[in-house]
Amino acid sequence: MSDAIESAEDQAFRAEARDWLTEQLEGPFAYVRFRGGPGEEDEEFEGRVEWEKAMGAAGWTGISWPKEYGGRAASLSQQVIFYQEYARAGGPGRVGHIGEGLVAPTILAFGTEAQKQRFLPGIKSGTELWCQGYSEPAAGSDLANVQTRARLEGGKWIIDGQKVWTSLAHKAGWCFVICKTEPDAPRYRNLSFLLVEMNQPGITVKPIVQLSGTSEFNEVFFDGAHAPAENVVGAPGQGWKVAMALLGFERGASTLGQQIGFESEFKEILAAARENGTAKDPVMRQKLAQCWIELQLVRLNALTNLNEGTTRPGLAAINKLCWATWHRDAGELAMEVLGAEAEICAEPPYALTRMQSRFLFSRSDTIYGGTNEIQRNIIAEQGLGLPREPRP
Amino acid sequence: MDFRFTEDQLIFRDAVRDFLDGECTPAAIRGLIDSPDGGAVKFRTALAELGLTGLPLAEEHGGLGMNELDAVLAAEECGRAAVPGALFDSMAVAGPLLAEAAPELAAEWLPKVATGEATIALGHALNPFVLDAGIADLLLMARDGALYAVPRSTVTLTEAPSVDPSRRPAKVQWSSSAGQKILDGERFEALWTLALDRAALYAAADMLGATQRMLDMSVEYTKNREQFGRPIGSFQAVKHLLADVQVKLTFARPVVYYAAYALVNGLPQRSIRVSHAKVAAADAATLGARRTLQVHGAMGYTWEYDLQIWMKRVWADAGCWGTSAWHRARIAGAILAPGTDLGPGRTWAA
Ligand SMILES: Cc1cc2nc3c(=O)[nH]c(=O)nc-3n(C[C@H](O)[C@H](O)[C@H](O)COP(=O)(O)OP(=O)(O)OC[C@H]3O[C@@H](n4cnc5c(N)ncnc54)[C@H](O)[C@@H]3O)c2cc1C
Repeated sequence: MSDAIESAEDQAFRAEARDWLTEQLEGPFAYVRFRGGPGEEDEEFEGRVEWEKAMGAAGWTGISWPKEYGGRAASLSQQVIFYQEYARAGGPGRVGHIGEGLVAPTILAFGTEAQKQRFLPGIKSGTELWCQGYSEPAAGSDLANVQTRARLEGGKWIIDGQKVWTSLAHKAGWCFVICKTEPDAPRYRNLSFLLVEMNQPGITVKPIVQLSGTSEFNEVFFDGAHAPAENVVGAPGQGWKVAMALLGFERGASTLGQQIGFESEFKEILAAARENGTAKDPVMRQKLAQCWIELQLVRLNALTNLNEGTTRPGLAAINKLCWATWHRDAGELAMEVLGAEAEICAEPPYALTRMQSRFLFSRSDTIYGGTNEIQRNIIAEQGLGLPREPRP
Repeated sequence: MDFRFTEDQLIFRDAVRDFLDGECTPAAIRGLIDSPDGGAVKFRTALAELGLTGLPLAEEHGGLGMNELDAVLAAEECGRAAVPGALFDSMAVAGPLLAEAAPELAAEWLPKVATGEATIALGHALNPFVLDAGIADLLLMARDGALYAVPRSTVTLTEAPSVDPSRRPAKVQWSSSAGQKILDGERFEALWTLALDRAALYAAADMLGATQRMLDMSVEYTKNREQFGRPIGSFQAVKHLLADVQVKLTFARPVVYYAAYALVNGLPQRSIRVSHAKVAAADAATLGARRTLQVHGAMGYTWEYDLQIWMKRVWADAGCWGTSAWHRARIAGAILAPGTDLGPGRTWAA
């Protein structure tokens, strides 16, 4: 920990970010401000795509990437600064987060030079959106059990199988797909990590309606879908290693923006409590204070551990467990603050209020990206070195 | 004091359960969520055949003359089946209230409630939205220390959709001059508190039933869903998530039954027994909703999977007829009042 509160360089970075965000979000992009947060993925989607492109053009996507790939090589503290300013300015839910936060770091770590040249620019400019093809009906927590198969034929991968719960598959141009390519190899050595274009005859996307009545995730069917032979990240058979590294990013720094957004969400809960008088109730005061305390844990944990997160086993899992649980509990607290009003929607027939959307969405935080139970298993097994659960 | 239910009470409960298992299926509930009343009238009419709609009403009004201990089991079954509509508010809270407050109106309306032809809605300050006001024939509304019986035709309703798509809350605008004042003064205070106690009791029972249903679904699901080559229910982490719900539910159930007993016998601690019941049931239900969703993984987060029907029901129930914060404050007010008689001789007494 250094003692300087914020270096001159970081201060300048903050000022630059703030100026740009304010100018844009109070100017041409005012209509996407505060839109498309957790549980509101459909809100103003096209506008948010334009926003992603504008961010890219101005150099505010991929800020942590090396400069040679168009990044700013921003330090962790600068990433935090950026997300703080982003949240403060009311920046909308990012449509490019899967590309920027998950695919890009994975390609940077494991991809070939040609893959970096091919895929990073589209992510950076916001012109290519991505989705995550991991889960399948029989492979949720047990991801290694994926049944989707790919075989090399005539210089192409031919892919058959099914993914499920694929967020934004209906909007994405590309999908990274974990599939079985070495059927005879043992578990963990039989998979590959493929980059697959979505817009092709061999792929069908079917939306799944969530309990909120909206649909952010999908079933994705692969029926002889194609990908060029070179679209494999890492060697064939090395897919598990690559997939796990990506999950490390998913549980780690990629959620920084979201976590910093929690501060705004918490402020809204406080405002609601003040407005309806719950803030005077001694029990609710204690609960609100506790919620703030836990939010600080999320924040400080992120700030100190993210640097090490991908190197020390179990740390990314602690991070994920910590923010997911906070968000879920804060969703419940918000409903408790609203009391009898909590159940009432914004308008007929079923348009939810922002707090309801968040409450419902946050039910899933402890599930996606690895459930709380799986995170605890990882903390115990990889972090503490306890004996492993039986596996097939 | 015998905490066990009688044979007759259990037989009636089983009859209600069997009937609802057949009639009030998730498919039936889903088929009605877009209808104007969410299915409230259909199930009101259907349950009238069992005599449920007249259960706590007097025989002279066509009811069965039963009490809260009989009704609480039926309320639990309605929660277990997620029966659409605020049936208990109408027949088991508004009904007895009207009988005590306004015999003439009771003679006019309660026979229709008993036969499943009419609904009486209740507007209480704790609920800013009135359930089933849209299908109500009569509304009982309180204002400035008095209770009014207000004909439905004189009120203005603003639909306020609920997160539970089967429920029909509405904002009610009404004028006291259009209604008939049926209670005021001390009698109003006493009977209005009694009505609240009854309503909170049935909301608690509803949550017990709904939580039991969520737990049952989860036990089934985790026995069958396999990951890592074995049923997920074989993982301790999953077992413990559900075992905790079973513990909370098992603890909440006698609290709710005891509150019903306190109501039937007019015990002096009636109100705080009810408050305890509402808090305990809401705790079990909130934990139940959270945990049962968790053990289902992403499946539990979908619209298509039926768990959401019960989760939404308990989220709504928890805020109705007094939040847990309100009920805890009521308990605190009672037990901290100077001279309150607590202690060994009292805990097992009233
Ligand atoms: C909103 C949302 C968005 C999603 N987006 C995507 C996406 O874009 N792409 C994608 O690929 N996937 C996505 N998912 C899927 C997500 O990754 C899976 O839901 C998650 O991995 C859990 O798998 P499952 O749903 O099959 O649950 P299961 O694995 O069936 O788990 C059910 C329960 O069993 C427990 N359990 C399982 N195994 C163990 C064990 N060994 N020890 C202890 N407990 C265990 C779990 O913790 C859970 O409580 C999304 C999910 C949600 C809810």
